[in-house]
Amino acid sequence: MKKAKEKRSNAIWSVILGILSILYMYPIVMILFNSLKDERAISTNTAFQLPTAETFAGLANYVNAINAQGFLKSLGYSLFITVTSVAAILLFCAMCSWYITRVKTKFAQGLYFLFAFSMVVPFQMVMFTLSQTADMLDLNTPWNIWVIYLGFGAGLAVFMFAGFMKSIPLEVEEASMIDGCNPIQTFFMIVMPMLKPTMVSVGILEAMWVWNDYLLPTLVLDIKKYRTIPMLIQYFRGSYGRVEMGPMMACIMLTVIPIVIVYLAGQKHIIKGVAAGAVKG
Amino acid sequence: MASITFKNVVKTYDNGVTVVPDLNLEIKDKEFIVLVGPSGCGKSTTLRMIAGLEDVSSGELIIGDKVVNTVPPKDRDIAMVFQSYALYPHMTVRDNMAFALKLRKEPQEEIDKKVNEAAKILELEKYLDRKPKALSGGQRQRVALGRAMVRKPAVFLLDEPLSNLDAKLRTEMRSQIAALHKRLETTFVYVTHDQTEAMTMGDRIVVMKDGFVQQFDTPQNLYNYPCNMFVAGFIGSPQMNFLNVTVEKAAEGQVLVFGDSRISVNKPELEAYIGKEVVMGVRPEDIHANSAAHVGEPAEYTAFINHMEMMGSENYLYLDAYGQKMLARIPARYEFSEDTTVTLAIDTGKIHVFDKETTNIICH
Ligand SMILES: Nc1ncnc2c1ncn2[C@@H]1O[C@H](COP(=O)(O)OP(=O)(O)O)[C@@H](O)[C@H]1O
Ligand SMILES: [Mg+2]
Repeated sequence: MKKAKEKRSNAIWSVILGILSILYMYPIVMILFNSLKDERAISTNTAFQLPTAETFAGLANYVNAINAQGFLKSLGYSLFITVTSVAAILLFCAMCSWYITRVKTKFAQGLYFLFAFSMVVPFQMVMFTLSQTADMLDLNTPWNIWVIYLGFGAGLAVFMFAGFMKSIPLEVEEASMIDGCNPIQTFFMIVMPMLKPTMVSVGILEAMWVWNDYLLPTLVLDIKKYRTIPMLIQYFRGSYGRVEMGPMMACIMLTVIPIVIVYLAGQKHIIKGVAAGAVKG
Repeated sequence: MASITFKNVVKTYDNGVTVVPDLNLEIKDKEFIVLVGPSGCGKSTTLRMIAGLEDVSSGELIIGDKVVNTVPPKDRDIAMVFQSYALYPHMTVRDNMAFALKLRKEPQEEIDKKVNEAAKILELEKYLDRKPKALSGGQRQRVALGRAMVRKPAVFLLDEPLSNLDAKLRTEMRSQIAALHKRLETTFVYVTHDQTEAMTMGDRIVVMKDGFVQQFDTPQNLYNYPCNMFVAGFIGSPQMNFLNVTVEKAAEGQVLVFGDSRISVNKPELEAYIGKEVVMGVRPEDIHANSAAHVGEPAEYTAFINHMEMMGSENYLYLDAYGQKMLARIPARYEFSEDTTVTLAIDTGKIHVFDKETTNIICH
């Protein structure tokens, strides 16, 4: 009796969640279809049609996108910025959270609240002063924009790391100190390995954000010199007023694919990491 | 290979609470010392001060012949086994045990040799390549011991290492740790709240309460000559009976008046208490069913059996004697039944008399 009821509610949930996921997937699927279509077949009233034998363009748009001026360069910039930013966020925020959770001073406590608070401040509120400050400090190249990303990513990262770190027994670290570690060794040989699940989930979340981010690099970087991939997509549209819809769609797909792969690879860890921080923290 | 000395050591935590007010203790080289006391009395704090995990607020802590107040844990030549084992979860058993040696940059063959030797002693050879989470509680405990052992420390610190194990395993590990002490020939400081562990393992026992050392002596002396009511009640199981009695002058010596029973003693220390009430301590095993087999004079009294527990070889009698509760351990061959009045005998050679106000011992 109870089983049957449970089964029915499960079925209902499956249908609801199925519809929701289709709604979420739909725009991406639409872009995928359009990226395979001939340029002329992409317009407001044809956008919803599936590719047909006539309009199917094969991978032509992709070839165009990749050959487009600066695509590979942009890919390089995006990759470099993502990797350096995420690495910096992981390293510094993990260290910082360790300090915050283990040193029980008012200062550490205040620091923690500051980080948590930074998650609440909308980006739009600081972006004006930010672009000025970035110029002043010469943080306006792809080589050092990670410093800014570190600042904006730190809130979430510290919050998640600190949440998980509270569940790690202090005695393990004390044991390592007795065994002969100095604090740096304790951090890298004991704390970091124990943080691995959280590292992975924080890393993936931050990587998705940095990779997809459009506003920050547009504000900070010199658009004539450096374009990340999201900026390049915008550019496909802007040049000479012409809208190269086909290559743009292809470019969007090319941007989405790596992040989907990364997400699928780390999905298990994301859920584990988020749950660990949430439940035990 | 090291003695440990506390000289007027005070520990005050950051929140302003003084947990250890004034500790003076001399632990000899190669001794097995047990710190015992109720939970919250400052045992772990004391141990952690030896380890260097807590600062000494004032006073001197000396290991060997060196004042170590400001020496970091890694330079104190100590090893510690934690209650929670505190194994490194991401390392195999082998790496857990080898970690300290690797940090010291010992040659690999040397490390392997030491780890394998420890694993053999602790019967961990089969589990060397497992991670701690794939081990049982007892095995984790042994890994924690192994990790401490391979380093050949001068001082071995153990904080309630057996409290997470079940009763049978605990008894087993007790003798293993005692054997380990014999083999290693180093100073052991062992913390527990369990008086049985303390009595069975310690060469000498420190009984603590509220941060103060109550008595520091051998298990035998603690049992036979407790210095106050706290130690008397804490050591020994079941607990010592405490009975309110009045001291009266007799022709020779004194008499302790306990209801209708008059117990003759002859202790000069009691002269000052004539006419006053004192506390008489009698262990349940020093109450006998008949007047034979006594060290001192038997003192008979009558009591009502409220309740009886059969333990197999002996029975625990929960008694009401002249309005005071007491417990007696009587061999099972004597047949008693509940709700009857019986006559029992206290061994007067084994009674302790305490001052009612200060709870300190007057005489044994
Ligand atoms: N880090 C700390 N800060 C403040 N008080 C503490 C701290 N650690 C322990 N205490 C207090 O010190 C007292 C003794 O603790 P502890 O030494 O752990 O006792 P035991 O090991 O004998 O059970 C307890 O009342 C405890 O609350
Ligand atoms: Mg303790």
